[in-house]
Formats: sequence, C-alpha cells, structure tokens
Amino acid sequence: MSTFKYNDTEFAVTAAGQGWDITRTLPDGSAALVGTGLFAGMGPAEAQIRALALVKAIYPVGIKVVGPDVAHPNMIGDLRIVGPDVTHPNFIYWDKDSASCPAQL
Amino acid sequence: MEIKGSVVLVTGGGNGIGEAVAKYFAKQGASIAIVDMEQKNINRVVADLKAMGAEAIGVRANVTSEAETARFVQATLAAFGKLNITVACAGIIRDGTMLTLDKETGKVSRKMGLDKWAPVIDVNLTGTFLTLRDAAEAMVNGGWPGLLVTISSVNKCGQVGQLNYSATKVADALMPKIIIGEFMLRGIRNIRCVGIAPGYTATPLLTGMNQDALQAILKDVHLGRLVEPEEIARTIGHCAENEAINATTIEVTGGLCYAGGIAK
Repeated sequence: MSTFKYNDTEFAVTAAGQGWDITRTLPDGSAALVGTGLFAGMGPAEAQIRALALVKAIYPVGIKVVGPDVAHPNMIGDLRIVGPDVTHPNFIYWDKDSASCPAQL
Repeated sequence: MEIKGSVVLVTGGGNGIGEAVAKYFAKQGASIAIVDMEQKNINRVVADLKAMGAEAIGVRANVTSEAETARFVQATLAAFGKLNITVACAGIIRDGTMLTLDKETGKVSRKMGLDKWAPVIDVNLTGTFLTLRDAAEAMVNGGWPGLLVTISSVNKCGQVGQLNYSATKVADALMPKIIIGEFMLRGIRNIRCVGIAPGYTATPLLTGMNQDALQAILKDVHLGRLVEPEEIARTIGHCAENEAINATTIEVTGGLCYAGGIAK
C-alpha cells in the first residue's frame, strides 16, 4: 500500500486482486472508496502515478467535498453549506483544457 | 456493441434506476463510473461494485454545471482510458400545478414559481444535454464506438401536476432523433443514441410513498405492479447489444393505461 496527500486529503493506493483500490481518508478517520479494481496489471509506482492523476480529476484543486459524510453538514439550521462556484470566471480551475471547459489561470 | 470490456458512465448512479444500471453493466463485465450528488450513495454503490468484482469509480458532481460534466468525463478517461456507454439517469421532480385557485373565490391564490420550475429544467434537460455532449465529445475524439442514453418518462405525453417534469421528459425523448440526425450529417457513424421512457418504477421515491396512493397508481398498470429498476437496466443493456436500436425512445411501462383503458 502507498499513500499520498492531495488537497489536504490523504489517499491510499492498495493492491486488490490484479488491480488497485484507491481510498480517501475522511475527517473522522474512516476510509471511503474512490475507485476499485483500477489499473489492472500495473506496478505500484505506475499505479500511484495514475491514481494521483485520477484523484486530481475527481477532486480538482479548490474544492473540498462537503456533505453529510464528512465533518461539515450540508445544512446548519436554515444555512446551506455549498462548495465554490466552479463556473465563476474568477475561480482557478484545473490545468486540463477542453473545448467545453477552457482553463482559467 | 459488446458490453464486456466497455466503459459505462452513469449519472444519478447513486440510487434508483442509475444504481441498477451501474450494477447491471458491472455484472456483464463493464467498467463503471458513477456520478451522483450524494457522497454517501456513491460510497455505498462503489463498495457494492467492488464486492461484485467490478472496476469502478465514483464522482460527486452536479450535472447542471459545464465544468463538472467535463470533470467527470475526464475522470472516467483517467480511470479507464475510454468511454463507450453513457446513461444520463440524473433527474428530479418538483411537482405542482401551474396555478392554484382559492376554493372560495375561484381566483388564483398561488403560481408555480421558478423555484420549482428551474431546478427540474436544469437537472433533467440541461444536465442531460451537458452529460451527453461531453460524453460524445470524448467518444468522437477518442474514436470509440458509443451509445448515449437519455432517460425520458412515460409522462412525456403530459401529466397534470408535472408541467416542468413532462416538459423535460418530452425533450429527453426527442433528443435521440436530433442527435443521430446531427451525427448523420457529421459523418459520425459509430455512436448511437437511444432514449428509455420508464413507467412507474420501484425506486425509493415510489416505494416510500403513501401505499394507498401507490395502489391507485397500480390500478392503471396492466402488469399490476411497478416496473423494477433492473428491468429498465436490462432494456438499456439490450440497446447496447442490438445495434439496430437507434434514434428512438423505448417505453418500459408494464402497460400504463389511462383510466378508460387506453394505453398511455
């Protein structure tokens, strides 16, 4: 098993059969599956590189997952806690460009 | 298209029809990317898929955001290197009549607001459009054979109290014809598009409702029971395997009828 930290969250890459499982550590210390059975046949080093790329795609910089599964509830009384507006022109997005989502740096 | 070895993206994959679709394709040997708004549901379904021995990822994302649809397609490619089947299951309801009248005066006492109208349009229509658009972009650029699936509803024919929902579902039913027409013009021959129009389906939304109201609904169903989500999933699987099914929307309702006995 190898671990890496990204965007203040710890991730673990664990061998599972012929592939790899990726888990993230939740604020309460428990683990949640990000993906399972991935990158079949790859060695540990290559799997970790691919895992980091996948995690960057799932959790782009600037976004922390908030919701009932983490320490931050979605609702506090009538106040709704939401993530940042990633479509806002001032939001710094990830560095992968596409025709439908141009990078904004 | 052979399902085994293909990569399937399912929005709304955290419960209901989306969950059933994800598990059906996993059983057939596909790799699965599920997208949902509820992280708890994502965690549960990905754990179930792991127990089935499937390859899977879960992405928490909002289908109404261009940035997020691009992100979950990108995540799918980062995990599996390709994309073959996309099922846009994410959908919501906000039922209500356009006008509500005061019983005593007969005058309008309330109107459906944008708070009920807009979210349904955003998720069911714009979300489906963005999901299929970005999935198709990946399929075309990657050169992979593909299938795009919209989830319509038998209520595409119109249902009182669902002006917002029915408007989106008739549009979702029409999308396959327009998309395939466009693909024909563009010379894109290896990507198909079909719609599925479920009837009353045994999702938590319906099974948890008032049981008397549920029985009243079932009186109009020739089959005499709710459609199971797995039956919807199997139909989508058949669409994947049968390449002749294209540019159309298939109803899976169990024979839903109007009160007079005419099938809807």
